Amino acid sequence: MPVSLKMFSNKTVIGPSILINGRLSGDEDLTVRGRVEGEIALSRRLIVEKSGIVKANVSVKHAIISGVVVGNITATECVELTPGGRMVGDIASPRVIIVDGASFRGHILMGDVQTLRETRERLEAAKPTATSQVLASSRFSSLRPPSVPRLALGSPLSPLSQRPIPRPLTTLNAPSSPASAEASPEDGSPSDNDDAVVADKPLPPEPPEFMEASKRKIIVKKKK
Amino acid sequence: MANTIIGSSIVIDGEISGDEDLVIQGTVKGRISLKESLYVESSGIVEADIDTQNVEIAGRVTGNIVASDKVELKADCRVIGDIKSPRILIADGAAFKGNVDMDIKD
Amino acid sequence: MTQNSPINIIRKGITIRGSLSGGGDLVVEGQIEGLVDLKNHLTIETTGKVQADIRAEQLTINGEASGNMDASSRVAINASALVSGDIRAPRIVIEDGAIFNGSIEMDVKLPDDI
Repeated sequence: MPVSLKMFSNKTVIGPSILINGRLSGDEDLTVRGRVEGEIALSRRLIVEKSGIVKANVSVKHAIISGVVVGNITATECVELTPGGRMVGDIASPRVIIVDGASFRGHILMGDVQTLRETRERLEAAKPTATSQVLASSRFSSLRPPSVPRLALGSPLSPLSQRPIPRPLTTLNAPSSPASAEASPEDGSPSDNDDAVVADKPLPPEPPEFMEASKRKIIVKKKK
Repeated sequence: MANTIIGSSIVIDGEISGDEDLVIQGTVKGRISLKESLYVESSGIVEADIDTQNVEIAGRVTGNIVASDKVELKADCRVIGDIKSPRILIADGAAFKGNVDMDIKD
Repeated sequence: MTQNSPINIIRKGITIRGSLSGGGDLVVEGQIEGLVDLKNHLTIETTGKVQADIRAEQLTINGEASGNMDASSRVAINASALVSGDIRAPRIVIEDGAIFNGSIEMDVKLPDDI
């Protein structure tokens, strides 16, 4: 057998003609170009390439989807749908990125807002010299399973490697800054609002069409 | 060049099928059926029935092997199960327990 | 954005309770509670907070939004956004850093044999 394979000894690839039906688990990156059905449990990355099809419940650290996934994903770090990535199922992950060109149907649970905010603030405070772009990309890199206890899907993974994962090229750049809002004076008085659209009179809120929406109330600590 | 590699930390419990070479450095339990070659490297552990064209085993295999071309048991491998194939090579140092059937017509 | 329709802005400090509808683009820097039904582009800026069922052609969220959101073309949840609710649109983008809890419905074309 070719000796060169030793180079790949820490990387698993499922080739385009391969079908695996069953349970797959492990502690290394998994690249799927073929098809995996059943269950995947990894402590590292799952990369579903363009030709890859995963029909499985997945628990993983980081998932990058350019192919097709049908099933639920629980990620301790991040789920990314790249252009062309298609997924039907639920995602539970502190970071979820869906770029233009990807398609998705299902539920997304990033977890408790306050926990996420606090984690972000802590991480940002810990790296005061970094640029915001770097922060945006590394915000959750050290988030571990105990930080997302409210995730409803799947089972927690075993403790993970703390090595930060290099970011794939497909990720969007850091956000454009919300220009106009930040630039406007903080004490904007009502007289500024000649352009504003104002409702006829302050009605009590109408009962929303979908009651769940009003129940899903956000509790947010003012950041500024 | 093999397209598919099951790395050393990977455990698969189920069925693997396909039309390309497969390299196993990890653990596979269940069933393997391939139209090409299977390589079980020294770290590989297979507890499965195997149906393929060629098999090269340097690791451990428990299960019956059917190969349409050749089975090669390399030194230090450990194989328990029956082998059916027109060509069978067993290297010095290989451990094997089972029946060999080279499919000879009477 | 639509070129020839005016852009309306609900400035920071303004709160609207009730239902809001109309054409033209709308930028929200203040707060809305209730219902928004807009023909064009709704932008919720970082200071904006909308607790409403939203219908629009396009929706861009930099601030906070909760409720059911239905856009006929596109929803962008940007990095600074905090969103909860159910979203339906042909194109939905979630940037890294955004916080979203809820469901998303886009048209997903799957292979036939799945």
